[in-house]
Amino acid sequence: MQTIELKDVQGYIFRAYGNMKYSRFTLLKVNNPKAAKKWINSICNQITNASIVAKDELPDTCLNIAFAPNGLSALGLSQENINTFSPPFKEGMTTVHRTSLLGDIDSSSPENWLWGGLKNEPVQLVLLVFGKDEATCLAYYNSLKDEFESHGLEEYRNLDGLTLKDNKEHFGFRDGIAQPIIKGSGRIGPEHNSVNPGEFVLGYKNNYKVYPDSPTIEKPQGNMNLLPPSPLKTGKKDLGKNGSYFIIRQMQQDVEGFWNFMNDRTRNADGSINEAESTKLASKMVGRWPSGAPLSKFPDKDPGGTSDENDFLYAKDDPKGLKCPFGSHLRRMNPRDSFETDTPKKSLLLSNRHRLIRRARLYGDQIIGTPTNNKPKGDVGLYFNCFSADISRQFEFLQYTWSNYPKIKQLYSDPDPIIGVVENPKKGQEQQFTQQGDPINKTEKNLKRFITIKGGAYFFFPSITSIRYICSL
Amino acid sequence: MSQQNPLTLVTPIKPEKLAALYKVLSNMKYRLEKGEHELFEKNNNIHYLRWLVIDDKNTVFFNETKRNPKLVFSSNFDGKVLAHITDLSSDMDHQLIDEIYSCCIGYPEPKDCTPKTRAVFFKKHMIKVSAFYKGSPGRSLKQIREEQDLRMYLRKKLDTENWKGLTAQQIHQQLKKETRANAAFSILNTKYSMPKTNWFKFALLVIVLLALLPLIIVWILIVEFAYERKDQHYTKTRSDLNADKIKILEEYEDLTSGEDLSKEEQSVAGVLVKDKVINYQNQFSQLVEMKEGTVRLITFKAMMLFAKTLIPIKFVKGELMGIPTIHFARWVLFDDNKRVLFFSNFDGSWQQYLGDFIDQSGWGLTGIFSNTKVFPKTRFLLTGGAYDEEHFLAWSRDSELPTQIWYSAYPSLSIKNVNNNSQIRVLFSKNLNNKKAKKLFELI
Repeated sequence: MQTIELKDVQGYIFRAYGNMKYSRFTLLKVNNPKAAKKWINSICNQITNASIVAKDELPDTCLNIAFAPNGLSALGLSQENINTFSPPFKEGMTTVHRTSLLGDIDSSSPENWLWGGLKNEPVQLVLLVFGKDEATCLAYYNSLKDEFESHGLEEYRNLDGLTLKDNKEHFGFRDGIAQPIIKGSGRIGPEHNSVNPGEFVLGYKNNYKVYPDSPTIEKPQGNMNLLPPSPLKTGKKDLGKNGSYFIIRQMQQDVEGFWNFMNDRTRNADGSINEAESTKLASKMVGRWPSGAPLSKFPDKDPGGTSDENDFLYAKDDPKGLKCPFGSHLRRMNPRDSFETDTPKKSLLLSNRHRLIRRARLYGDQIIGTPTNNKPKGDVGLYFNCFSADISRQFEFLQYTWSNYPKIKQLYSDPDPIIGVVENPKKGQEQQFTQQGDPINKTEKNLKRFITIKGGAYFFFPSITSIRYICSL
Repeated sequence: MSQQNPLTLVTPIKPEKLAALYKVLSNMKYRLEKGEHELFEKNNNIHYLRWLVIDDKNTVFFNETKRNPKLVFSSNFDGKVLAHITDLSSDMDHQLIDEIYSCCIGYPEPKDCTPKTRAVFFKKHMIKVSAFYKGSPGRSLKQIREEQDLRMYLRKKLDTENWKGLTAQQIHQQLKKETRANAAFSILNTKYSMPKTNWFKFALLVIVLLALLPLIIVWILIVEFAYERKDQHYTKTRSDLNADKIKILEEYEDLTSGEDLSKEEQSVAGVLVKDKVINYQNQFSQLVEMKEGTVRLITFKAMMLFAKTLIPIKFVKGELMGIPTIHFARWVLFDDNKRVLFFSNFDGSWQQYLGDFIDQSGWGLTGIFSNTKVFPKTRFLLTGGAYDEEHFLAWSRDSELPTQIWYSAYPSLSIKNVNNNSQIRVLFSKNLNNKKAKKLFELI
């Protein structure tokens, strides 16, 4: 097994910071590169790393930092060196190609984004500040702000995130249960859920047993002695080692629209809301019950409480999708041992080449939706944050191939019902959700889109060493 | 049963007509994007076609070439090759074919342009495929469409009528009664059975390979030690690739189009409402150079012979070595055995497709492409290479070409859909017990 240099890895990749109830991701603009680098260098010892912390020793605050191409450039990394980053990162989320691939069209078009879009200032840096509660987080943030403002960095936009009771998201479902275990991270889990470090951390071998594409220094600048040699490109220094790519997507949720749809499709004969059936339809689309309990183990009813059950597979318990439909969000996003027509063993191998570490934070009114409680005050949604070492094979693959593309398994026109539905389909374009049934399948036609993308960007999430290197430019 | 066949034409372009040719192709692309598919619908037998320009030194793809520009045409159709050439030469839009090929050297002058002279020209530039794969063998375009109509009809029936309390067998019988009375489903009166693996021939092939094994092993050792270890290998990663090249390829993937039309042309041709949803199908065109020497050529040809023999015996159910997303694929050795073209029509995105190649059939690709220049380093012909994920992905992108025109007759059907529809048709037209009827309804 490869040993990961945990002390050099920024902590958010490996740790969800579960006790951090409040976070502020602040987008920063560099006005004075020299002063900014001085300040960033000075906070390197405050940056939370990935070493394992005992439960009773968890800190009250955490701090991490990530860089967009524009930020690296503002801090002095030469264009030749920025060119060594992976194409999606360099090109950004808003090119015509990526927009169509990710489904960011209609209301979700980057033309309409609040940040990171075509009409917004280019994103440069994001400082990730966490606290055990709102007051702690903001107090910490303000102390940092006093410092960075006097060092040529300007706050451009704050993305404040929180966690809700039982880790539920606004539609009402317990979230973030299934995370891959990284071999060598100190955490241990079932083999079928474990991946090689190179799936998430650059500089280590991935699930193909090769080193992922990692940025290097093409044209020497700064303190080159800080960086390790590249394992992939002889004679070059590795800027990516112990780093990752961090993706933020602001996803607004139409909680009322979501539950109205479920309620309308399941009404009693007298027109009243059938709460049980409405919840069931929503759960079939999501792939777990509101409690988090998996459908393949509890096909008919939510056992209630909260569930962290993740040690389950599909091939044996639910090969035909009769319990957890093939088209449900979670079965698509992680098909486990039931991928297309492959054997369970091969399925697991393939599924694990497309995993994400998700770090969603919620925003807006603290509503947890149900069939009858679904009218939030103001906009609500989540910051879908995630890590991947290969944006194209992991994040973009999940969003396009397994979500927007409607033809997984033997389905014909079934996009992911939660994140893949097109708002304004073409004339004649069918969008449905199929529930496999006995003797016949049942389809929900004319799906509606319940989420709107409001912002997003790809970031480089460097090692602490690489942060120091960037500050040496 | 229908025979699906490939045609490949490589025609030299008159240098002075290159710009005009791009314009013709660009206009045609624009018309296709607007949905004017009737251009290629006339004969109701073309599944796919594409045109691309190679060896144009003014593009980022060929800036070091000393060769003269050529136009490549590739199609997949029902019936005999000669009949298809006759279609191209006479029944299809003359104006279009003439407009395109008048930019090529040796095409008959306007006054001499007749179906016959056109056909002579095409036959002269025809190149035989080295290996060819079809995802739905035996099915004509007409059959593919009729089977999709049947499936849509059945799905609608299941969605809109009350089947409560009926068993699968009863539902099947009732539906059958209704389709029997419906003239639109006359295909149900014709018997069809799905292609099957030919285990006898497969066993024979295995025996032949076993008999040849000593020779194969010696050969592989020669290739490995006398050639592969001395060759130059591909060592770039995706981040090393020319950004302009990637941008052009990605734009062609989007099918959105009109992008390569100038503003002026757009206003002449009218406003095109851009559909930014990526297409469900895509194409891949790749051009690589053979490594020099007879040993490499023999190895390549042997791999092609192996593929050519194995494919119709074993890969007849919609999966090529486990890849379930390919409608058609072909390898074409041309240019005096100096270069290889690879074309495919596939479902989903580039990343998925190339990933499938590594995940499912890395050794097959490696065996073929290790004989072409600057492929990622292979070991003993069949390992390394495509299994070297990062380098293989970068190599694939680097050797890919933009396709100026690409047409699919059924862009909203995946190859899995096509085969599933045939299976529905076969099962549906039988007399089924309840268990079999349940199997049928799992497919719909």
